[in-house]
Amino acid sequence: MGLTDLMSMAKPTDESRKKVLAKLKSKGFLNCFQCMKCTSGCTALKLLELKPHEIEKLVNFGFVDELVASDIIWTCATCLKCVERCPQKASPYHVIVALRNMAVEREAKIPEAFMKAVSQILETGLAEAPQKVTTRKMKTCDRDSLKLPKICAPKESFQTIFFKALEER
Amino acid sequence: MKAAVFWGCRILTGQYAYEMSVREVMPKLGIELVDLRESLCCGDPVKSVNDFSATYLSARILALANLTGAKNMLVPCNRCHFTISEAKSLIDSDPKINKKIKVMLREEGLEYDPDVKIWHVIDLLHDFVGLSHIKKAVVKPLKNLKLTSHVGCQILRYTDLGRVDSAEDPRKLDELIEAVGAEVVDYQEKLDCCGAHLLLSHVDSALSLTGTKLKALQALGVDGLVVSCPDCGLMFDTKQRDAGTTMGAKLTVPVFYYTQLLGLALGIEQERLGLQLNQSPVDAVLSKVSA
Repeated sequence: MGLTDLMSMAKPTDESRKKVLAKLKSKGFLNCFQCMKCTSGCTALKLLELKPHEIEKLVNFGFVDELVASDIIWTCATCLKCVERCPQKASPYHVIVALRNMAVEREAKIPEAFMKAVSQILETGLAEAPQKVTTRKMKTCDRDSLKLPKICAPKESFQTIFFKALEER
Repeated sequence: MKAAVFWGCRILTGQYAYEMSVREVMPKLGIELVDLRESLCCGDPVKSVNDFSATYLSARILALANLTGAKNMLVPCNRCHFTISEAKSLIDSDPKINKKIKVMLREEGLEYDPDVKIWHVIDLLHDFVGLSHIKKAVVKPLKNLKLTSHVGCQILRYTDLGRVDSAEDPRKLDELIEAVGAEVVDYQEKLDCCGAHLLLSHVDSALSLTGTKLKALQALGVDGLVVSCPDCGLMFDTKQRDAGTTMGAKLTVPVFYYTQLLGLALGIEQERLGLQLNQSPVDAVLSKVSA
């Protein structure tokens, strides 16, 4: 469902808005004055219609639940141009990260690849498994045949502590 | 300089040419690399799931670097460089997080050291090794090559964090390319993102971003694109053909890691620099260089 459809029946909630604020800590996001510098330079604007200044305004108005349930927060390419260029240090990128975290906490539908990466890290320490690659002459290589050092998995104690960290809110 | 090296996931699991070339060139320029005890994710994909756990992963990496005794850590991946830098700034400025992280690290007998300095390949070569040292070390200048640079996003932004080069007008990679004898061509799309992060959620859009930039470069008629981030390498080189399919265009832009070109200029054999692994059409440039 698009953002506009979600908004048409939405009611703002201050409680969710406060949750976002708590996650943002000292970041000055309340200062956004809608200059749209973020949106005009946004990598995801043209292809995916992400408008960071709208996200800022919607959170400020308390329409957090709608954003958390929307796909739009997963279209950010994390190029950080909005953080760099915002004259008010309102940093849409960090607002989007906070909203993504809330989506996970609420078990909303999120792109599979993120959870897959997390479980892979729990299991092996790395977000991906080592791949075989081919040369331009179609010879298959891996770390061994390229004489690269072996990958060393983290100690078992890591798993327990990382798991605990994932439960932090 | 002795530097701990943190590779991150993407280099260790697929972008082998970057790893090979960094391992080859650094010792030649007086940088001794020490691998960390364990391989770990920097926390980047975890940020979107749980920001605090990402900070913990980065802190654990800094603690592992601390174990090597080196006061410097090389992070050749832009994304890891940003994630670790942001985590470090948070740990150093927020006493509550600082305490929480230190307690978690101590459970494994690890210690966080705020004095470990984080480097990327670009600033380590440009600011520490220095252009004049590199020029002196070059034995085979890469003459008659017109190249363009793609610095990537996350080592440039955001400035408040302290980044590797200017956010809006980065020059260091260009100067490094000139230091090995090639000519640099500036272009309008220089700061455009490669799109790698969108591979996690919107593959077609990710490939469109890659393809659009490559198409613009192709129209410029340059000899190649130089990158220094495994995400950008993955998109522009490994996935160039896919990007072409998405765009409905035949893309033929040779893509190199800077350290591969530096290695060639330092006289290192192509195979040791992983140049057989580049998927973009680099052969014509390579024969020009070795001629």
